[in-house]
Amino acid sequence: MLAYKLQSVLVYAFVWGSIYLLISLGFSLICGVLRIFHLGYGVTFVLAAYGTWALMHELQLGLWPAIGLMFVVQIAFALLVFYKGIFQRYLEQEEILLTLSMLVFLAVTHLANYSYPVTAGVSIPTTIIDGTFKIGKVRLSYQMLFAALTGIGVTLVFVWMFLKTRVGLIIRAMSQDIQASRLMGADVSRMYFLAMALSVIPPTICVLMIAPFWSVDPLMGAPLLTTAMLVSILGGLGNLKGSIVASYLIGFIHAFISFFYVSRFMGFAALVITLLVMIFKRGGLYPGETIW
Amino acid sequence: MNRKKSGVVVSVVLFFVLACSTGAMAQTSAPIKIGFMGNLSAAFSLSAKGAAQMAVDEMNSAGGIAGRPLELIVEDTKGEIPKAVELYKKLVMTDKVSAVVIGEKVEMAVAGMEIGAELFREFPHIMFSTIGSGDVIWHHVRDNYEKYKFGFQTYYSVSTNYLNIWGPLNAQVFKELAGAKKVALVYEDMEWTKPLRKGLKDVSPPLKEVYAQNGLKVVYETTLSTDQKMFTSVFEEIAAMEADVIDATVGYIDEGALIKQWEQSSARDLPLYIWGGLAGMPPAWKVTEGKCLGVLVGSSMIRVPITEKTIPFMDNLMGKYKVGPIFGSHTTYDTLYGFKKAAENAGGVGNIEALIKSLENVEEVAVLGTIGWDAKLHYNLPYPKYVTPIVQWQKEGDQGAMKVIFPAEYANAKYMPPAELRK
Repeated sequence: MLAYKLQSVLVYAFVWGSIYLLISLGFSLICGVLRIFHLGYGVTFVLAAYGTWALMHELQLGLWPAIGLMFVVQIAFALLVFYKGIFQRYLEQEEILLTLSMLVFLAVTHLANYSYPVTAGVSIPTTIIDGTFKIGKVRLSYQMLFAALTGIGVTLVFVWMFLKTRVGLIIRAMSQDIQASRLMGADVSRMYFLAMALSVIPPTICVLMIAPFWSVDPLMGAPLLTTAMLVSILGGLGNLKGSIVASYLIGFIHAFISFFYVSRFMGFAALVITLLVMIFKRGGLYPGETIW
Repeated sequence: MNRKKSGVVVSVVLFFVLACSTGAMAQTSAPIKIGFMGNLSAAFSLSAKGAAQMAVDEMNSAGGIAGRPLELIVEDTKGEIPKAVELYKKLVMTDKVSAVVIGEKVEMAVAGMEIGAELFREFPHIMFSTIGSGDVIWHHVRDNYEKYKFGFQTYYSVSTNYLNIWGPLNAQVFKELAGAKKVALVYEDMEWTKPLRKGLKDVSPPLKEVYAQNGLKVVYETTLSTDQKMFTSVFEEIAAMEADVIDATVGYIDEGALIKQWEQSSARDLPLYIWGGLAGMPPAWKVTEGKCLGVLVGSSMIRVPITEKTIPFMDNLMGKYKVGPIFGSHTTYDTLYGFKKAAENAGGVGNIEALIKSLENVEEVAVLGTIGWDAKLHYNLPYPKYVTPIVQWQKEGDQGAMKVIFPAEYANAKYMPPAELRK
């Protein structure tokens, strides 16, 4: 039994950690580049699910065209509503920025609930392979494995972009010192624009990947936003390295508590550990002064 | 002159007699007012409101109550307790309703019951709670009958009944239909499951012991948090403990995720029985993309004629009132018919003591069996009087359908193991 539990902890720490990474990547990016604690980030999850559903059912689009169009809607929403509408105007007035972002999130949530309440039966048919398989003694669903692998894949692409491309270099420079970057000729507005557009990609992919084993409901944004915030805070706000480590650490805590104690306690345990880390290592596991 | 004088006196007397009799006639033909309060942004309250309106319309078409028409006054609490208290006062003091129906969560009914108790002497009325679950309402009546005797509860979830009636019945279903000997118990961390987890003093031991007394061994027991999204570890452990059936006493947790993760776990071939909530509603099939196939659930949303009222109720509610029959609509509709019969038996709604006694003794044909209330405790008469069938999600063509598998007299399908249904 002990061997089974240990194996389960290892497997699920990896799987859940990778999924948490996918959930939190966009949030970390905005924290790192724009230096904003984006309380409206939960919108992305709701839009991803309900946007796809609405396009499939209102415009009678197939799954793939609906997903493609929904990405366009997501990016347009992030740029026009959040970036142009709120961030650009209130970048220096943080309390207004945070309040408005939160209000947009709540408004979209309520609109989703009004348009498609739970009784509408919203779902997204994105199962890649149905069924389960065994790793040693541990059974795992294919979809969870795919979601985890997607999380790793998307993270690798982001890391590669930051480390190996010119755009990544500029973004890293901006995350370290915005004024110096400006003086060096970085087009800050353009990079902000790009960061906002990029930030919606991981959470959108995340919703599509987890929908077959996660609940799709109008209130789904709040718990996912909480997870993203927890990962980012523990890892160090805006530090991708920190987010990666924090995701797997929270995945491990959740898996360990679930298999060795009781699953109901896993959220609380992760919060306590985060709190302890913050007490002894202010700013989280990695300093938030740079995105990488 | 004397003749003239006496003529005037006779005229005045006649005038007063006529005036009084017209007043009395107006009194007896005036509508009986019924107040309905609910959170009109929530699907369950909207459904209950539709059911209340339907009952009132039907009763008016059939001549009302003892010849008096009914008038339904609807108020929106917006889910806020202070608003609910204010509206309760308005309904009782200004509109002078004979009964207030509270069609939303139990906290509202408790607030209504408290303010109702203060107003009751001056403004006699009846209060019905038709969605609120748990034991708070009837505990008020049990602990202080004189103060709270105007309060009645019509809902399925009363712990005493869960432990004394549904516990043994579930055990019977698990053993006879699913051939189970070992059960895994999963509770949600809410007030209503506490008596099931801990037992009720002088009433019943916990559910675990109820099952043991009925020949089932509980091999796993856990509690889930209402904000929990990951259930995989729970199902993996249940499978490792070699349970034969999973009994999930849940109704408010994220059942969509629970069902999806059950279907993608080592426990997917074990029958999953869910006490209520989303799993027992028609959208569950779409929400889970058919992963609820094989799930057992207590549900009143089935098209099986438990009485002659069942099917017309469902058809009319959807057809004429444009709301689906979800939880709370049946109970609201049945409550008003129980009220009607009790009022008729009591000779109207004028004598509140007679009306309360009549409600305590009434029995009326209902959508889900027979509506009536316990004479001392004021919760509605439980199974077998009022029936919540156990259904199983099975396939009907490409779609899923809830098929009644218990009680046998209403069954329209046989239980099938989940693995067999997936073939």
